[in-house]
Amino acid sequence: MRLKDRYRFIRQNIKKNRARTFMTILATAMGCAFLIVLASVGYGLQQSVVKETLEDQVVTEVQVYGKESAEGYDSITVADIDKLEKLDHVKAVTRRTQLRQMPIYTLDEYKSEAMAVSAHYPSEIASGLELSDGRLPEKANEVVVGYHFSDTLVIDSEDVVYDEETGYPEEEFRYKGELIGQTILMTVKQDEEGNVTEEIPLTVVGIIEKPGREWMQDRDVYISQEVFKQIETFTGTAGGGIVYDSEEIETGHLQVFDQVNVYADNLEEVQGIVDTLNEEKYATYSVVSEMKQINTLFTIAKAGLILVGTIALIIASIGIYNTMTMAVTERAPDIGIMKAIGANPKTIKQIFLLESTYIGIIGAIIGTIVAYATSVVVNIGLPMILEIAFEEEMPEGLQFSSIPLSLVLIAVAICLIVTILSGMRPAKRATQIDVLKAMRREI
Amino acid sequence: MIQIKNLSHHFELGKKGRKTILPVLKDINMEVRRGEIVSVVGKSGSGKSTLLNLISGFIRPTEGEIWMEGQIVSDLSEAKFADFRLKHIGFIFQSFQLIPSMTAYQNIELPLILKGEEEKKRKEIVVRMMENVGLRDFQDHYPSELSGGQQQRVSIARALVLEPTLILADEPTGSLDSETESEILEIIQKLNQELGITFLIITHDEEVAQIGDRTISIRDGRIMEGANAV
Ligand SMILES: Nc1ncnc2c1ncn2[C@@H]1O[C@H](COP(=O)(O)OP(=O)(O)O)[C@@H](O)[C@H]1O
Ligand SMILES: [Mg+2]
Repeated sequence: MRLKDRYRFIRQNIKKNRARTFMTILATAMGCAFLIVLASVGYGLQQSVVKETLEDQVVTEVQVYGKESAEGYDSITVADIDKLEKLDHVKAVTRRTQLRQMPIYTLDEYKSEAMAVSAHYPSEIASGLELSDGRLPEKANEVVVGYHFSDTLVIDSEDVVYDEETGYPEEEFRYKGELIGQTILMTVKQDEEGNVTEEIPLTVVGIIEKPGREWMQDRDVYISQEVFKQIETFTGTAGGGIVYDSEEIETGHLQVFDQVNVYADNLEEVQGIVDTLNEEKYATYSVVSEMKQINTLFTIAKAGLILVGTIALIIASIGIYNTMTMAVTERAPDIGIMKAIGANPKTIKQIFLLESTYIGIIGAIIGTIVAYATSVVVNIGLPMILEIAFEEEMPEGLQFSSIPLSLVLIAVAICLIVTILSGMRPAKRATQIDVLKAMRREI
Repeated sequence: MIQIKNLSHHFELGKKGRKTILPVLKDINMEVRRGEIVSVVGKSGSGKSTLLNLISGFIRPTEGEIWMEGQIVSDLSEAKFADFRLKHIGFIFQSFQLIPSMTAYQNIELPLILKGEEEKKRKEIVVRMMENVGLRDFQDHYPSELSGGQQQRVSIARALVLEPTLILADEPTGSLDSETESEILEIIQKLNQELGITFLIITHDEEVAQIGDRTISIRDGRIMEGANAV
């Protein structure tokens, strides 16, 4: 029997019981759509999270926190930096050290308290540090400042009003003039009361670019290593901290770094560097590793969602089983006649299997279309509903539901497997119909 | 054409535990030669239909062998027997056995579809067959829209489309009035003479038995072969 004739047979059979077939297709379509929409939330949220995590992040960056030792973690030392710089595929190793006290900066009648950080400029440049304005320091008393440093420069008076929510001084009290070229006076203390202080004039030559994230603030002042050492000499402590207890002071120059970042040549090498570092017992963080973890997590979640969705399809398959069983029973006399004149049982089985497959395919197609439509509605509607319900702004570009082609293929495959399996028994029953009983209309 | 050797058949009745055995055919030996019309007569319940169903492969004998076309068919698998039927045997049933949801044309076309014949050739054959049995103008009629005689002619056309060498008929005129019966018998004789098709016809009707070259009489499951007598 030709495929075309089989198809025509099925069409005729379906036509005979349109309403029932339609309901079965509908149930299958709903099961399929449910599966896709459910799993699409996993895909959509994964996409959103990945996008959010990667946004403006330097993906080639590996942050190195310290080195594991017998009693916890050791800070990164100059020797470590040497080792890190010699690793394969490492483009740059930036290292920053924080001053162990918070200096005060004055510019005319404005005053600011902000961290002072000593950075290694050649490696910062190699890592791709960008300035939003000005240039990098060339002399010892030249500094660059963080993008938000100017916000901390506030009129030195009692009348300053602070924002209740953020705690930041109101706009009108902040310094609004040009920073570049200005000389700010850094005041560092030797003792807690500030009886002995030193004033170091610094010239602002550049402003660092805005940090990647909206919520990140960079208010630091990036001083040269010379100035850092000058402060250490003044305070007599390593790191330039204030002396509280003269028994425990560490003198000399600070030999460790607070913030060490390793930059890879390209994205592909990041995981390799992370693995090497971890083998060497360095504690690291990189977006790439985090992405790997996020993706693993989402893969598990998606598999779970698909599994739950499959249950819906299995329920729909009960409908297919029922429909096909009824179809076989109804057509038993016809099947008997066909077998009598020489229809092979295999042909009969195939006709019925093809019929349930047909229901599965049409159901899957309709289900996919419905799922896409639902996905669009969910992506537009859900943020609106959530915003009204929780009165909270949803992050821009947040995607709840996403349907990649792979999900459609998975869903259609599951749908077809389930429908074919559920059509199997009725089809087998059709082949077992007794010719004589069927012709006597006893079935 | 057909050889039957030591064929016996019984049915098992009742459920497990209280089974009873109903012997129907007992040690049947017979032969149907190519080109013959053989009629099988006997009282109702004597086992005529059972014999035909065994030859058709609808049931399997409990003992004995049936040979057709030079091979034992009685132990063929269901699928193989189906293929054999399609290829070699045409069927005419008392109650016509047409598919009610198909037109006369579609019913006649069915064996050709099962064989996998292409559409153009199918049409040619079906149209020719419908003319042969005098149903030219009824191709789009459903069985319910045809008289008994017309329906039987449709089923004869269906039996013929694959050019079988043998046609098995179980009371082919059993549901027809005597005038229509004569028409159908005429067609059968014509097919036998012109195409050399072998017929094995079951009947309890004398007129039908008379067109046979030979009559086999069954009584209590045994063959009482005689002359052209009932
Ligand atoms: N499927 C069956 N199961 C049990 N008994 C049957 C079956 N078919 C036929 N019989 C019995 O076998 C005997 C012969 O029946 P059948 O061959 O139909 O006779 P005929 O066609 O000569 O009237 C009858 O007694 C009938 O009741
Ligand atoms: Mg009978």
